[in-house]
Amino acid sequence: MDLSSLLVQFVSGLSTATLLFLVASGLTLIFGVGGVFNFAHGSFYMLGAYLAYTFVATVKLNFWVGALAAALGAGILGMLAEALILRRIYGRAEEGGFQILLTYSLILIIDDLVKLTWGTEYKSLSRPPGLGGALVMGDLVLPSYNLAIIGVGLLVVVLAWLVLTRTRAGRIARATALDRETLGVLGINVPLTMTVIFGIATALGGLTGALAAPLRSVTPGAGIEVIIDALIVVVLGGMGNFWGAWLAALLLGEVNAVAVAVAPEWASLFSYLVMVVTLIFKPEGLFAPRQVRKV
Amino acid sequence: MSSRKAWGLLALALALVMALPLGVCAQDKVIKIGAMYPMTGRPGLYGLDSVAAAEMAVAEINAKGGVKGHKLVFINTDSQAKPDLAVQIAKRYISSENVHFIFGEVSSGAGLALTEVSNQYKKIFIGTDHASTQLTSDKLQPYYFRVSNNTFQSMAAGALYLKERQQSKPWATLAYIGPDYAYGHDQWNELKYNLDRFGVKYKVVGEYWPKLAAPDYTAFITAIMKDKPDILVAGLWGGDTVAFIKQALPYGLFQKMLYFSPDGGGNYELMSATGDELPVGLALSGRHHNNWPDTAANKKFVQDFFKKAGRYPSYAAEGAYSGIHAIAQAVEQVGNPSDTEALVKAFEGMKIKLPEDPEGFTSYIDPLTHQIVQVQAIGETVANKDFPPATRMLGNWKVYKAEEIMPPVEYLKDHSSECLKGRLPK
Repeated sequence: MDLSSLLVQFVSGLSTATLLFLVASGLTLIFGVGGVFNFAHGSFYMLGAYLAYTFVATVKLNFWVGALAAALGAGILGMLAEALILRRIYGRAEEGGFQILLTYSLILIIDDLVKLTWGTEYKSLSRPPGLGGALVMGDLVLPSYNLAIIGVGLLVVVLAWLVLTRTRAGRIARATALDRETLGVLGINVPLTMTVIFGIATALGGLTGALAAPLRSVTPGAGIEVIIDALIVVVLGGMGNFWGAWLAALLLGEVNAVAVAVAPEWASLFSYLVMVVTLIFKPEGLFAPRQVRKV
Repeated sequence: MSSRKAWGLLALALALVMALPLGVCAQDKVIKIGAMYPMTGRPGLYGLDSVAAAEMAVAEINAKGGVKGHKLVFINTDSQAKPDLAVQIAKRYISSENVHFIFGEVSSGAGLALTEVSNQYKKIFIGTDHASTQLTSDKLQPYYFRVSNNTFQSMAAGALYLKERQQSKPWATLAYIGPDYAYGHDQWNELKYNLDRFGVKYKVVGEYWPKLAAPDYTAFITAIMKDKPDILVAGLWGGDTVAFIKQALPYGLFQKMLYFSPDGGGNYELMSATGDELPVGLALSGRHHNNWPDTAANKKFVQDFFKKAGRYPSYAAEGAYSGIHAIAQAVEQVGNPSDTEALVKAFEGMKIKLPEDPEGFTSYIDPLTHQIVQVQAIGETVANKDFPPATRMLGNWKVYKAEEIMPPVEYLKDHSSECLKGRLPK
């Protein structure tokens, strides 16, 4: 393969990776900070896509305003789900199993609610005005909207880094990950913190769904389609490791892009192969921090 | 327990006992059809459309007094398009619901599992939407009949389309993209088989196998652009077609090659989901079209569906509608919905006028393969606002004769179940 097609595939991989990372970011955040494995995270992605459809196609909001409103909506619904349902099983023996069952049932409930609200017809959004085309440089075609998404991905990474390391809220979040009991003793409202973090995580999922809506079909069940790949990213990056998820998404996006061009009949095998090899030789994840969180 | 409550319970028990024989009596005069369709997830739209159209057909027939004094009763259970679940439901239908027919299914995986149950219990299974050719060849069993076209028929029509095109707008190279499971692989193999059969010369420059319901096709799109095929054959369906087309738009893919998807690529939900974004000039087809053939019967079917469901149908609907009418016609001829062997005879070679039949043609069931024989039309996307929210529909139709696109005997000899082997000419 020549250099220019390799470059084209590389940029394709980058755009795939960014959406992968954006879905996985919320999943890994809530796992890292709250210790909750939210199997229904993909459903908040789907809700984001449907809400964006309503805000942009029906209410006629500007696309970016609509996407932010959809993220906010998914965040609020996420906080409700945490406060009304998930909170009740914290601290139970075998909590992990309960989490999976409970969040799995949330998938089914949200799917049906979506069907009742929006129907089963496929929905779809157009790309925002001005971003429908592409930058063309010889053989290299870079769709403007994909570039915008890559930009949003970078923005989320930088913002998350600033919030987590430079603000009091970020310090509380990191402390929640380490020791919730002590945090409570220090006078922090831990349940509220958990709810807010869950809301931020689902808002990230919702934002991704909204951004993906112009590129994909919005259908019931769309959540399931993204959750497995997001899960692979989270595991590869080290469960709960925000930066790890970013690197893992890049790795998977690029492995897939190159595999599709070089060995298309085996392409889908490669991302799983990367995961299997990682799980065998570095089970804590490729980018796990040196200190593993104590339970 | 208060005596009043006890009397109440006793009365209830009595009522139940009395109702029992009545129920059995009533059952003697019904034709019970047990359907399995997915109601949820991405194939849910096909399931909901199928059920709405089946109910429409049942209502039409019952309004005319049913069939030989029998009322049609249609029940459906959500199969989630899962083979194991569909099998469970079918067994319950047979053992405790006393259905006369099992019916439906969007997924070929579920269809293949159900045909085993149908064979085991000798219960007629009417397939309405799943397209795997295997069901009417390698896996054919005596109690299976299909009332919508299979992938072989679509791909034979597709091969004829490409052959004609080679004469008008010469092309030489093909690339393929299709989901990495039986449906995707079957279409590609059947297209190549038919191209060879019709003597078309071509070179394959790329083959791509994304997972079903893959959300992101960017890497595939750029790889296909690099291959520069004249024709991109797509075996994608439903949401996958929508996602692929939307993602390929800014790359200018549709200006550089013909996008060709003759089996499921031209379903109405693509047009309704993509609106003005859908490029014109793509060559597509499906198992039924809302605007072809331009006959009174097809218009009536589409408008009746719209009145009932509030939306225009995807192609799954017409298959289900046809299935109910085929059952009614078979029972009309035999007179008894329980006489399975006589019904099998009635289905074999049945002629039935359906909404998708153009003037001068009547669909019929091939007695050899139990596959419905129908005319296929392949169209190009053109501007058309008659079926909102779609703003493109198919037009500039090319029509292929029903007999021309059936699997030839040589093909069946290599792809026949025990049941089919016995019937093939020596």
